[in-house]
Amino acid sequence: MNDYLTFALPKGRIMQDSMELFAKIGITCPEMDDPGRKLVFENHADKLRFMAVRSQDVPTYVEQGCADIGVVGKDTLLEQEKDLYEPLDLQFGYCRLVVAEPKELRQDDDPAGWSNIRVASKYPNMTEKYFAAKGIQVEVIKLYGSIELAPLVGLTERIVDLVSTGGTMRENGLVEVETIAEVTSRLIVNRASLKTKHRRITRLIEDLEKVIEAGPRISE
Amino acid sequence: MSDIIETRLPTGVKDFLPVKAAKLDYLQTTLRSIFRQWGFRPVAPAVLEDLAVLELGLGTDLREKTFRFDDRQTGRLVAFPPDITPQVARIAATRMREMPLPFRLCYDGRVLRHTEQRLGKDREIFQSGVELIGLDNPEADAEMIAMAVECLKAVGATEFTIDIGQVEFLRGILNDLPLDTAQALAVRTAIAAKDVSGLQQLLMKTSLTDQQREEVLALPRLYGGREVLARARKVITNTTSQQALDNLERTLELLAVYDIDEYITLDLGEMRGFDYHTGLIFQGFLTGFGRAVCAGGRYDGLTARYGFPAPATGFSFNLFNLLFALDRELDAQVKEGTDILLFASDHDKTPAQILATKLRSQGYSVARDIIDRDRPASLDYARRMHFRYLLVQHGKEEGLTLIRVADGQETSLTDEMIKAGHFEI
Repeated sequence: MNDYLTFALPKGRIMQDSMELFAKIGITCPEMDDPGRKLVFENHADKLRFMAVRSQDVPTYVEQGCADIGVVGKDTLLEQEKDLYEPLDLQFGYCRLVVAEPKELRQDDDPAGWSNIRVASKYPNMTEKYFAAKGIQVEVIKLYGSIELAPLVGLTERIVDLVSTGGTMRENGLVEVETIAEVTSRLIVNRASLKTKHRRITRLIEDLEKVIEAGPRISE
Repeated sequence: MSDIIETRLPTGVKDFLPVKAAKLDYLQTTLRSIFRQWGFRPVAPAVLEDLAVLELGLGTDLREKTFRFDDRQTGRLVAFPPDITPQVARIAATRMREMPLPFRLCYDGRVLRHTEQRLGKDREIFQSGVELIGLDNPEADAEMIAMAVECLKAVGATEFTIDIGQVEFLRGILNDLPLDTAQALAVRTAIAAKDVSGLQQLLMKTSLTDQQREEVLALPRLYGGREVLARARKVITNTTSQQALDNLERTLELLAVYDIDEYITLDLGEMRGFDYHTGLIFQGFLTGFGRAVCAGGRYDGLTARYGFPAPATGFSFNLFNLLFALDRELDAQVKEGTDILLFASDHDKTPAQILATKLRSQGYSVARDIIDRDRPASLDYARRMHFRYLLVQHGKEEGLTLIRVADGQETSLTDEMIKAGHFEI
């Protein structure tokens, strides 16, 4: 088993983007063409294994060494702060992590005057850090989805969430106040794997570096 | 049968049942015997320390992770050590300072560290390690690496890497850069994560010279085999880093005699241990296991904090990590259970006691089945509790039957045969 290179990829669009990119350097997995409900796919000839997992779980699988390599958004890495290598920016999956609030509130609101605020977010850790660095006390309410709803129903005044095109926020009457971070998908590598399989992984990184398109792009 | 009372353990600590505990014991014994072969003598540091004293030897990182509490007798804060190395440094610097250097000391013991409450992080760490105090030359560094390789081979590891770094090489590049504290921290974090693109973005906002920028940006990619040294030489110009490379090269030359080249990788961008260490550092990794199983390196400033400046190097194994990484390999190393369960059918137990004593003196592990039950029940107990043989003692003068638990094969024996050692198990 140890001579396999194992990838943890987030289910969905990022997995497709990743496999398209990997295909350019000859890393493929025909078994994945007919996914069904399988979670693990193998390419026996090239000794490759791919696991489809939730994007928030990718860093865990890689940090623990169940996967050698993973693809995950910078947002998740910043939020979880795991002990990993992240040698490559893959440039796809571009979005921004922003602070947003309802349009009506925005009209006479001055962020410079915030002292304590209530924010709904999927990213409590990053949100706390961001505001703490600015000397603002923040009460974060952790939600798992539909963050835009929180200000509409009075759960919180503001939210911290990802935007790619900004469509969902606009439709829900929210406007961006500040950008916390720009996010793209990253290639992450387990620390022990980089050392014990360094020839294979270094070649993979160098090959990918040559085919990654310059400039971030949104994955629809 | 009484009800099971809820007895949960705090997260991050574990109990080990006999099979696992035997493996742990095997690892501990094996490592200790290698330490002894290399001339290291054991020290056994105290389990509690005065916090103020302990903290002299701790970096910020470990200070934050220390378990501390009030000492009712004195009202002072005391602490469980999060690492044994500072304790050994204290002992060497205070209790042993009149003795001739170098000191070769080894230890094993458990330490506690606070960790973030997340999956798979141990708060209790079982360390087994060595400290070589009083030598500043590459020979000492080479000795540590050669020992670590020998230890890993001895405990049954086959595919592993000792990954070597050099913090002075990093200091030569990173110290004196025109960066403010926040920028310096961000740069270190990006290097530690080998995050090239993040590093590029950070450096764009700084006033580094082109040469400085090139040096810093090279760090995340300076890992791999020995060719890394040549690549590093091409990039760097500062004296500190060049000397660090000389030191590394010299150490690798000294290692040639041990024929361990296949186990060595280099990582000149390795930031872990940057605050604590002063020269060559290394970590041991096993293929297929995500965390380091051992770590060590030079720490020339540590004993000085206890008033006795001396160069030093050392390393320690994390035995729990080693145990989980080698769990399956260790099955073969750890002899299963106990040799003999002695079952006496006679009511007079004296012959059984005498026989058990005799067998133990011959080197077998023996337990008597003291419960009053029949032979099949005793055999069943032997099977479930990992005995290798059931030895049935029939009444006076009626001889014995040795039953191999694994397949039930029986052999008839007499008391004379056992006394003379004429039987095999």
